[in-house]
Amino acid sequence: RPIPGGVARPLFMCKPYINAHLLKGNFKTIVVLPKHVDRGEWIALNTFEFYEYIKLFYNTCREFCEKCPTMSAGPGTDYFWLGTDRKPRPLPAYTYIEYVLTWINNRLTDESVFPTRTPHGVTAGPTQIIASPQGMQGGQTWLGKEAGFPPTFLSNCQAIFKQMFRIFAHIYHTHFVNIVHLSLEAHLNSFFAHFIAFSREFDLLDSRDLDPLRPLIAFDDKGVFQGPKHAS
Amino acid sequence: LGSTKFDEEETRISRDPGQYQPVTRERATATKLKVELFYKQNVQHALERNQRRNDLENRLASEPRMSEERKNLQRINFGTQESNFLRLRRTRMVAEDFHTIKVIGKGAFGEVRLVQKKDNGKIYAMKTLLKSEMFKKDQLAHVKAERDVLAESDSPWVVNLFYSFQDAIYLYLIMEFLPGGDLMTMLIKYEVFSEDVTRFYMAECVLAIEAVHKLGFIHRDIKPDNILIDINGHIKLSDFGLSTGFHKTHDQAYYQKLLEKAQAPSAPKSDRNSVMVDAIHLTISNRNQVNTWRKSRRVMAYSTVGTPDYIAPEIFIHQGYGQECDWWSLGTIMFECLIGWPPFCAEEAHETYRKIVNWQESLYFPEEIHLSPEAEDLIRRLITSADQRLGRGGAEEIKRHPFFHGVDWNTLRQVDAPFKPQLKSMTDTTYFPTDDLENVPDAPAVAAMRAAQAQGNMQPGPGEETGLPFIGYTYKRFDQLNRQGGI
Ligand SMILES: Nc1ncnc2c1ncn2[C@@H]1O[C@H](COP(=O)(O)OP(=O)(O)OP(=O)(O)O)[C@@H](O)[C@H]1O
Repeated sequence: RPIPGGVARPLFMCKPYINAHLLKGNFKTIVVLPKHVDRGEWIALNTFEFYEYIKLFYNTCREFCEKCPTMSAGPGTDYFWLGTDRKPRPLPAYTYIEYVLTWINNRLTDESVFPTRTPHGVTAGPTQIIASPQGMQGGQTWLGKEAGFPPTFLSNCQAIFKQMFRIFAHIYHTHFVNIVHLSLEAHLNSFFAHFIAFSREFDLLDSRDLDPLRPLIAFDDKGVFQGPKHAS
Repeated sequence: LGSTKFDEEETRISRDPGQYQPVTRERATATKLKVELFYKQNVQHALERNQRRNDLENRLASEPRMSEERKNLQRINFGTQESNFLRLRRTRMVAEDFHTIKVIGKGAFGEVRLVQKKDNGKIYAMKTLLKSEMFKKDQLAHVKAERDVLAESDSPWVVNLFYSFQDAIYLYLIMEFLPGGDLMTMLIKYEVFSEDVTRFYMAECVLAIEAVHKLGFIHRDIKPDNILIDINGHIKLSDFGLSTGFHKTHDQAYYQKLLEKAQAPSAPKSDRNSVMVDAIHLTISNRNQVNTWRKSRRVMAYSTVGTPDYIAPEIFIHQGYGQECDWWSLGTIMFECLIGWPPFCAEEAHETYRKIVNWQESLYFPEEIHLSPEAEDLIRRLITSADQRLGRGGAEEIKRHPFFHGVDWNTLRQVDAPFKPQLKSMTDTTYFPTDDLENVPDAPAVAAMRAAQAQGNMQPGPGEETGLPFIGYTYKRFDQLNRQGGI
């Protein structure tokens, strides 16, 4: 939990860095569901891509992160890892993020969670039944059903987004100075704003989880997200 | 709206990336490039998607008699197609998805295989490239740009690239399989071509090179092994940029070495017993020797050094060169088709290099071989200094040359080719030197990697992927792939 007041402004909230952006515009063009396109498929692809790129940013931070004692996201916020025994325990950030990335990767490559091998428009064949066994239970519907995603599709994506947000939070609070030295702040800011815009559009993040970066999001709400429609 | 108090605080730190490890700085650079490409592609995808939807709506609007129901069906189909494209972008293909039928080509950094996709039985050519070698010499930017050309070009003159993926060790390119082999293999078989046959291949090369130039690129590595023959006997240029040829021929340090060698006072002539001694004096009565030379040329194609035989002099000496360098290469290939060996061939690369730089003295047409005046004239107008070279003002100049008199440039690809591959099946490799290939040892880098793999110490580092943004298969590709039955 962040301590209110009395703490130094984090670097990522300072000018000029907070204003640095790779992209101008409010991300609408690349965020909203394209017409006629399957909603589940759109969310799946974007989840996949956010994962690929957050991994890049994190890889750049590896050198520094190896020394982080905890998975911190600002004063008073430490993320705990839920072990198999369901007991939360602190982990070094490096280990925590390693676990998270592996966990996400395992989901994304699990054909029963994110099917890739069955094309759309294949009328109920054996492969489709395998892809979503629950699809056989009559009457029910869920996000991603038509494309063969399981009923847990949305909650799977939400769980992934929640963990990705934590990686952002750790990078912003702990490694932003390194990011600035490497001149990556404009890229990170735009990527994060894109991430937030997408998760808002499809309800992928719980508002309660946003606290560690709420001021940054609020700042973007007055700036980036107000911007003209993305053009060029 | 009053400004928030955040705006008031300003902090500046003086950037010092030098304090970090080189690997971290490299990662930062790669991240920047990849993220920039990601957004460029993202916006591009959105624009193209809109365009396709507008096209559909325009088409539907122009069909007043089509029922609303049928129109909606078309929209649904369109959505399915688009969704499939999204799915494909998320699909991670792996080498295990393909079954190797035969190795059909070898390179310094990998090989080309005839493969079959396990799930649908489709046939492709799969090129593997050793990533560690490609990234050694700052290939990133080049590879990126050149890969884009390939993927974007819808040209019938360039080999189609369907898909690319990578693992920790290799980059894989899945392309269409051209069953007719390459022009080098054809030259080994036929020794020389008649002027008519030469005219056909040169005319097709003119159109192919023109197509590459129109895409804004310079091929820089046109040689008989990069000119592939399709099922009907027509040519296509092999993928470039990713090819080792690019790597080899653009390594300035390598040229520097050649230059020093060539300038060393009377470099002692190697007296090793080589089939290539006196290559320049090969004559038509000496065909066996020509072919022995060619075979050693093929082995050279597999080596890291490569052959400078077809490279224009300005690439060696000046910093700058333009599209006309490809027309020089064409001239040298034409010479080889008619005479039997390339004009500057020599036992060692530095000797070839010296001859190319001194082309005025070393370009020599053997007397006993009769060439028509038009053919010799065209060769001389291509193998000449860049500012004099035919083609510097566009491919039209070459097309108008008397040697090409009577060529119908618009229908060339539709006419019957002089040699049409006779194939027994989809996977016939008659036109590839597969037996020779079995005896060609792996290139050192490839062999080293295989050994390391065998010892099991070549696991990818956790989470580490030095990959390039090879996610750029475009919709066009996808669309084509669909039309051809898909991957
Ligand atoms: N798409 C293809 N279909 C059939 N054969 C191919 C294809 N691509 C390449 N080959 C064969 O493999 C050989 C080697 O391919 P390529 O020239 O692309 O690789 P390389 O030797 O590593 O690169 P470079 O020739 O640029 O140095 C070609 O000469 C050709 O015989």
